[in-house]
Amino acid sequence: MPAEQTMTLEIFRYHPETDSEPRFQAYEVPYDEDWVVLDAINWIKDHVDGTLTHRWSCRMGVCGSCGMMVNGDPKLTCAAFLKDYYPRPVKVEPLVNFPVERDLVVSLDGFMEKLEAVKPYIIRDDVNDTSGGEYLQSPAELARYKQYSMCINCMLCYAACPVAGHEDEFLGPAALALGHRYNRDSRDRGRAERLDVMLAGEAIWGCTFVGECTAVCPKHVDPAGAIQQAKAVAAQEYFRRFAMPRGAKDAGA
Amino acid sequence: MSGRLHRPQRWAWFLERPGYLLFMARELTGFFVAGYLVVLLVTLGRLGGGETAFAEWLQTLSTPGWTVAHAVALAASVWHSVTWFAAVPQAMPIQLGEKRLPAPLAAVVMGYGPWLTVTTIIVWGVLR
Amino acid sequence: MGHGTTHPHDVVIIGGGGAGLRASIAIAQENPGFSVACVSKVYPMRSHTVTAEGGAAAAIKPNDSLEDHIYDTISGADWLADQDAVEYFVNEAPAEMVQLEHWGCPWSREPDGSVAVRPFGGMKIERTWFAADKTGFHMLHSLFQTTLKYGNIVRYDEHFATRLLIDGRGRCRGCAAIELRTGKVRAVLGKAVIVCTGGAGRVFPFTTNGSIKTGDGMAMAYRAGVALKDMEFVQYHPTGLPGTGILITEASRGEGGILVNRDGHRYLQDYDLGEALDVSDPRHPQKRAMELGPRDRLSQCFMKEMWAGRTIETRDGHVVHLDLRHLGEAKIDKKIPFVRELSRNYAGIDPVKKPIPVRPVVHYVMGGIDVDGDSATGVPGLYAAGECACVSINGANRLGSNSLTELLVFGAQAGRHAARFAMDNPDCDTADLEAQAEDEGDRIRRAWFGAPSGRGERIAALRTELHDAMEDGAGIYRDAGSLRAACDKVAELKERYGGVALDDRTNSFNTELTAALELESLLDVAEAMAHSGLERTESRGSHQRLDHTERNDDDFLAHSLAFREDGAPPRIEYRPVTITKWPPGARTYGAGSGLKKRPKGDAA
Repeated sequence: MPAEQTMTLEIFRYHPETDSEPRFQAYEVPYDEDWVVLDAINWIKDHVDGTLTHRWSCRMGVCGSCGMMVNGDPKLTCAAFLKDYYPRPVKVEPLVNFPVERDLVVSLDGFMEKLEAVKPYIIRDDVNDTSGGEYLQSPAELARYKQYSMCINCMLCYAACPVAGHEDEFLGPAALALGHRYNRDSRDRGRAERLDVMLAGEAIWGCTFVGECTAVCPKHVDPAGAIQQAKAVAAQEYFRRFAMPRGAKDAGA
Repeated sequence: MSGRLHRPQRWAWFLERPGYLLFMARELTGFFVAGYLVVLLVTLGRLGGGETAFAEWLQTLSTPGWTVAHAVALAASVWHSVTWFAAVPQAMPIQLGEKRLPAPLAAVVMGYGPWLTVTTIIVWGVLR
Repeated sequence: MGHGTTHPHDVVIIGGGGAGLRASIAIAQENPGFSVACVSKVYPMRSHTVTAEGGAAAAIKPNDSLEDHIYDTISGADWLADQDAVEYFVNEAPAEMVQLEHWGCPWSREPDGSVAVRPFGGMKIERTWFAADKTGFHMLHSLFQTTLKYGNIVRYDEHFATRLLIDGRGRCRGCAAIELRTGKVRAVLGKAVIVCTGGAGRVFPFTTNGSIKTGDGMAMAYRAGVALKDMEFVQYHPTGLPGTGILITEASRGEGGILVNRDGHRYLQDYDLGEALDVSDPRHPQKRAMELGPRDRLSQCFMKEMWAGRTIETRDGHVVHLDLRHLGEAKIDKKIPFVRELSRNYAGIDPVKKPIPVRPVVHYVMGGIDVDGDSATGVPGLYAAGECACVSINGANRLGSNSLTELLVFGAQAGRHAARFAMDNPDCDTADLEAQAEDEGDRIRRAWFGAPSGRGERIAALRTELHDAMEDGAGIYRDAGSLRAACDKVAELKERYGGVALDDRTNSFNTELTAALELESLLDVAEAMAHSGLERTESRGSHQRLDHTERNDDDFLAHSLAFREDGAPPRIEYRPVTITKWPPGARTYGAGSGLKKRPKGDAA
């Protein structure tokens, strides 16, 4: 067997019970060209340091648990291959723009509130009545929103968004893209309700179209595009309500 | 127990990713577009001020300093326009059935195409 | 590890995956005044339902019939499914699927706007609804996002349930759960409890299952005295990527993909699975035949090919090839884009240009918590639904695309029944239950934070030994010797489990502690699997014994029930399968196999 190649992971450590400042800890891990960064972190957890704390589950890029900063870029660590960094060291940090719970684990509280705020569900009166069979939806109607329904809530986009880093009122890329996804769904009747939320304060207007959310999205959702489209819809609605203050609730289709 | 760690954003956040720098560059080119508009407004003002005033202004504008400034403003405006046209397919997608018009084509249809057309008309109008 | 405050609810649901969320909505809808607790060790959208790819079955098209779906399911189960439960399941399926459509699931569509269906393994006709090849993802997110509508669903995200709380009258009243952020153990109490914690594929080393699928709910019920039913039946999916075990969906074969051995030969035709029609033949892919045979058969065929030396040896074990090239780029990108994404990322193969290397991989546990047709366990107030439960509609082999539908149908049903139970049995004293939760916190603290660190064995060491024992002893083919060895090894590991020591003795987000508790669940589940397998001296569905190669309906047309015994092997009992209209018959696939159904009373 050939001498085992290794590489170095520099991992962000922070423990809320004992630390006031974060630090970096270097670990030497075996190098395997099939390994992803997550495999290396799991190897450390299993064999070297059981105190290292991170989230993961599906390791196939769809559960959205294992987003971290890898050499400064927000990445799903299950899709970041060691071979793309070897032999240089890899620096792993928790996603920026989120409070850190411990080590590589960040708090989702703010994100979950924003997700809930955009009412990401079908709103219509007969939504629980299945007697008439499925609502018809043509493939073209499906295509109008499908891309925006692919979000896995991995929150890489929030880590890439400088506005999300300092503007709490801003709902952020993933939540807005999901709101837009339901607004574009031919089965939905809730656009006016959602626009009430999106029009408020910096909720949507905080976006300055930096575009990095789209650049880092592992599922090609294009939240930046969704937000610009949603802004156009919101602007039309704003002026419509301005022009017709009464009875302007229905935003139409 | 120190609890959750909050890491405030650095004031120089725009240095952290190339994408942020490009964003800042795009926003800053806006000043050049605005500056060029001011020059245009002044030019119109001088035109209203009489033939002599206008001739003097044209004289001023033909100095090397102004030529350089114009060149810079032109480059900045072109770059600003290019970033806009790049954004158009994202912000105003054209859907044809189940497919979306590919981004480069959409940029041509909604950005470069109309731009070239209008420019051609103006150039034709001026050179006629 | 302090004690948290107690939270009283009406119904407590453990697990925030498809079944748990469907149950939550069912209760929240029918009883708007009820408070529903949804306790999950991960945020709901991380639950493993998210990875399901191919689709969910429900007969809605004019060319389909409920009867056919029932027969396919029963024969696919090798007659170990309870036929009354299957009938209920198939009858309820269409309405449940339409309901999910109303809740926003982006089902793929026909040009006329109706829901599209695709063929799937073991199904006589195309009846699998799909959202491209991310069906589970879309179902889970649609369900989760719909729960956000209901103010009476209270989520306990990242709460790791460790124990069911049973009151003095033997009634299940909630659970003790570790709040991961603080490490506090709290009692989450209700008048009824539903366990929806998913499967236990992580008992095995090579699995499609995510790291969270450690059988915690099965183990909790097992420890509370409920039997684990039919645990010897573990499904190997025939097409996983070597190395990672990432699933390549059966939909790839439903769309026309073929399996070939090292000689490029479609080897399934050599194993009684029908004729290999040319891929350009309009009848390809043929339903209930060849590549669309059931998963147990296909995985067994792989093993036989491997023994005959006709598979391809790689660094990550033997493989065969799943060839999709003839489908063309456009179809692959439209119908199975995730297959292309996964193959490119994790196998370095573009299926448009090259065949995908695949091998069988542990995918699903047919067995689970013993529940009746109403999703109720033998413990009053305790229900279970989804992969952790065994009703049983899946019997000895689950058909692809029945499990996603199952979590809707039985999630909703368990929700309704638990709510009714909670209405009929109003609250009583909770003091003893809080004490139980405090005891649980103390027990965990003593067990894991008491001993000096650095002295014991590592979790990973035991887990690896468990994996090896189960793969060697209870894989696709087993015999008395291999199963006995697995039983012995699991017993030894349970013994050594007490000697595991943690590096981490802190409270906040102690994932080493939860990994240790998950290992305990895996050991309990593995024990039930190995012993149930050892006792079943026949071959049926996914349980193939090299020393008992035939199905034996005289002795084993029965569900195995494994009861936990403290410090001893489980006690195995049997309960006859419910047969209504479809007497056991030969399980045939290949041309015309779907016509061989003979409901009772029909002239054969």
